[in-house]
Amino acid sequence: MTEATAPIRARAAGAGWLAKLEGRISWILLGLAGLLLPLLDDSYIGVIAQRAYIYWVLSAGLNLVVGYAGQIAIGWVSMLTLGAYTTAALAAGNVGTPWPPYLALLASGVIGAVFGVIVGLPALRLRTFYFAMTTLGFATIVTQVALAWKDVTGGGVGTPGPTFPWPFDPGWGFYYFCFVLAALATWMTANIGASRYGRALVAIRDAEVAAEACGISKPALLMMVFLLAGALGGIAGGLFASLQSYITPDAFTFEMSVLFFIGILIGGRGSILGPALGTLILTVLPEFAAPLVQWSTFLYAALLLLIVLVIPGGIADLLDYKNRRPVPQPELLGRVLGTQGGNTLITLSGIELHFGGVRAIDGLDLEIRAGEVHGLIGPNGSGKTTTLNVISGYYRPQAGALRIDGADLAFEQPHVRAQWRIARTFQTPRLVGAASVLENVMIGGTVHGHGTFAESMLSLPRHRLDERVLEEAAMLALSSVGLESLAKVRADRLQHSELRFVEIARALMLRPACLMLDEPAAGLSAEEIRRLGGLIKAISRGGTAVLLVEHHADLIFDICDRVTVLNLGKVLAAGTPAEIRSHREVVSAYLGA
Amino acid sequence: MFQSIVSYGLAVGAVYALIGITYNVMFSASRVFSFTAGMLGMLGGVLGALFINKLGMNAVLGFVLVLACGAVLGLVTEILTVRPVLKSIEQHLYVLSTLAFALMVQQVTAIEWGTEAQPFPPLVPVGEGWLDQKFWLPLLACAVTIGGLELLYRKTLIGRAFLAIAEDSYAARALGLPETRLRMASFALAGVIGTLAGFTGAQMLLAFFGNQSILNFYGFVPVALGGMGSNRGAVIGGLALGLFQQAANFLVGGIFAAVAVFAVFIVVLLLRPEGLAGAATARRV
Amino acid sequence: MPISAPEPLLQVGGLSAGYGKIVVLRDIAITIGAGEAVALLGPNGAGKTTLLRALSGLLPRSGQVRFAGREIASANPRETVALGMAHVVEGHRVFTQLSVLDNLLLAGYGVASAARARQVEEALSFFPEIAAKRNDRAVTLSGGQQQMLAVAQGLVGRPRLLMLDEPSAGLSPVLVDRVLAAVARLREGGTAVLLVEQLIEKALAVVDRVYALARGSIVLEARANEPDLANRLERAYFGEGAHAPLNA
Repeated sequence: MTEATAPIRARAAGAGWLAKLEGRISWILLGLAGLLLPLLDDSYIGVIAQRAYIYWVLSAGLNLVVGYAGQIAIGWVSMLTLGAYTTAALAAGNVGTPWPPYLALLASGVIGAVFGVIVGLPALRLRTFYFAMTTLGFATIVTQVALAWKDVTGGGVGTPGPTFPWPFDPGWGFYYFCFVLAALATWMTANIGASRYGRALVAIRDAEVAAEACGISKPALLMMVFLLAGALGGIAGGLFASLQSYITPDAFTFEMSVLFFIGILIGGRGSILGPALGTLILTVLPEFAAPLVQWSTFLYAALLLLIVLVIPGGIADLLDYKNRRPVPQPELLGRVLGTQGGNTLITLSGIELHFGGVRAIDGLDLEIRAGEVHGLIGPNGSGKTTTLNVISGYYRPQAGALRIDGADLAFEQPHVRAQWRIARTFQTPRLVGAASVLENVMIGGTVHGHGTFAESMLSLPRHRLDERVLEEAAMLALSSVGLESLAKVRADRLQHSELRFVEIARALMLRPACLMLDEPAAGLSAEEIRRLGGLIKAISRGGTAVLLVEHHADLIFDICDRVTVLNLGKVLAAGTPAEIRSHREVVSAYLGA
Repeated sequence: MFQSIVSYGLAVGAVYALIGITYNVMFSASRVFSFTAGMLGMLGGVLGALFINKLGMNAVLGFVLVLACGAVLGLVTEILTVRPVLKSIEQHLYVLSTLAFALMVQQVTAIEWGTEAQPFPPLVPVGEGWLDQKFWLPLLACAVTIGGLELLYRKTLIGRAFLAIAEDSYAARALGLPETRLRMASFALAGVIGTLAGFTGAQMLLAFFGNQSILNFYGFVPVALGGMGSNRGAVIGGLALGLFQQAANFLVGGIFAAVAVFAVFIVVLLLRPEGLAGAATARRV
Repeated sequence: MPISAPEPLLQVGGLSAGYGKIVVLRDIAITIGAGEAVALLGPNGAGKTTLLRALSGLLPRSGQVRFAGREIASANPRETVALGMAHVVEGHRVFTQLSVLDNLLLAGYGVASAARARQVEEALSFFPEIAAKRNDRAVTLSGGQQQMLAVAQGLVGRPRLLMLDEPSAGLSPVLVDRVLAAVARLREGGTAVLLVEQLIEKALAVVDRVYALARGSIVLEARANEPDLANRLERAYFGEGAHAPLNA
């Protein structure tokens, strides 16, 4: 259990080791306690501890699904059931010749992974409720099958669990087996949590559209997580079968799901230590409060209701990052874009887009050039944001072409925009409120990493290099927008205007060839708009093509090199700001006369 | 065998359909899918057996009392788990708040009523085979509910207000419709329909606390098949599901029935998330 | 300055409103006299729709809002409607699955049932075209007819102040004239009107006074017949004259 349990990693050199130790010390204590527990030589306590470890093996994976990705997997007990029956049936020889127990355990991991992915499929495109219902339905089905498939599962009578041979034979051997697997699960999921994959998961949870614009592919990432969570659940099931020594469908009640789920919620979303402690406490507590055992599920459910209504972020939300908000500094312009010389050219030709009968864009031609700020203005419904959404790949026009440097850019694929270094911001800032400002900005550089999911899970060198590079780049980007002093503050503690600048910093992480800003001045004060104008201008002078959709006429006329006026989805006028200002038709269209 | 597949399948299907309608009635007024639908179905049976069997009440009185309990639980659901969540930014938390409430009720039932399935008293002492009340009662309840809802929506102003809120709650609010009160009314109505489903189906399903999760899932399948908010879709989907399940149980076996239903559910969700009869939804940017 | 009746019908002071953290309106002050028609102009994004929502209670707001002698800054839409404020929201959002008549009956939800049918007929009398289609579902109406229906919905409660949010959006010029003619008739009948409109010329023809909103604040107040209004509006929207260009 090495790295990064605290969600953010202290960067300051002086206090660094202390902060790291602070994050690790709980793990070290937990680990020591686990290692030394057998010295008590109390087999009752040993069994309770084994159960806690087994539950945590499952919950560690589930934590990535629930705590990080924010998917409401309420029936994950089904993975435990699957794993338990797979291991037991294979080891007992209910299917063909008996398998060696370790191999059977491995098989249950594979089965768990497969079904984790299947159950996760609806989460890829549907709202939360459907996935919750799918996991619940799967748990119902698995129990029904376990009851009905008598040859393999023994039906209601049950089937004996496997006994693992030396070195992890029943007793303290098996205890250490569970302990090591729990530690391994912790280490792997903590690595993921602190990697760009972990941040991407949180981004999908809290700012899905922005995550796509940063090049994060939700389906691919969620599949990996479901696979891992399913595998861990299956393995936990195999261990559970051995611990129980005899399993029946009754052993896997839906209430266990509630325990896993609530353990994670109590611990807080986006944390590893919190849910681990939560699971441990919920497993152990009933042992010391025997009269309450009957009511434990009721209390868990009541606790769940309370958490949802009062502190939706879990206990972790109550603990603020220590730094209070300092005074923002003026921006240090230009450094982040470095030396990239740009000559990118984005062209839209003959774009037509209708929604039903309404023509949102009606034959639009547009050129966005490197090193220029291109303003896009027009009355409501004239197609400004729609144009931006076409370029970012949210819409598929009925006609027309979109090219970058002469190459065709496919429509309706938002997450490939990042590979072309097309970045954007949103009308309403879309950030992860529960993550730090620095983490939010690092999300913008997700596609620049090289390590795979597995490399991150095992904390291999390439993963560590990725993290270092991303963090440095993010600090630089933050400095350029003048917010480096807020790096470790939770994003939801920031003011609205600061969020706008954080979004720009996140977009800069792509070192964008093209940056699209959707009403960046909305809600900003006059002074902030002036700073924003200077920043945008400096970005474009570094070689980036900037497309600016804005209502603030003053800002447009101050900083744009070229302005296009849209009306009813068509170009009404295009030219320099001076030309546009004196264009009679434009003035009347913009004013609506 | 054919007779028992059809009679049993239609009866179970009618219960699923009613639970599906329960989901829909709550959804229309609030855009919330509440996990209390299965809980209401479960309680319809348990409370019915409690009032009539254990406390020896008159069947009619027991029936009315069960529905009244359903209405009250519907109101509590709205006030305790839906209203606070709709006010917050993370509205999808209704998934957890309604689930938590349903689990609390289920646990109280398990402790106070017991975890064993218990028989439900026959109400009408006539009929055998096709005429056995356990077969026609759910179907009758389903028909009455559909007819009643149709009357409500077509003939009364409050019914049209339900439709208005379901179509465009923002415009409805701007017109001055009492959105909160209408939402409470629809949750109370859902409470009545859910317990009606459980009460009429309890001779088949027994008074059993475990019916909650089964009804939650199998009652939602018709909604997913028929399109959310569509009561007609829920009825067709529910009856089809009941028939399919019984046929598969008899002809191929329970394992296949369970797996097939789940597979169809996932496939429909993935390919036609708006339901087999529903309309496509808009993009979120 | 506004025509000062003993007490204006609507008096707003220090009003702020927005969406979550985003403050859209700051320190708004407007008044509307009984029976007065006022246009609310401004470039898009200025906060016109937000202001109407804040007045009718669809959005939380802070500040003072006095209407018909009552403080309504914390009233919900149901209460403001009951007091005689009708808000016809943007984009002719009628209930397409219900009949024209049902749409109007719902608009009279708070009206005593004895008077409801009469008031619905009254509202329909403004728009003979949709009165003829009273039993058709609203989905069968054209966009212009739906807008008429939306305005008629606003009239069912016999409001003292009718707020219309871009009733001309998406309508052909002929239909716009017909909708605005209804506004003129209402004013003659003594109903105050607050009209948000992009078609300035047409709006000016039917109102007494205008407010211009830009960047969330009132930047101009004028009588509708002032001679230099177009130029004053332009200056108010684009900011006063020259700015010091940045980095140039």
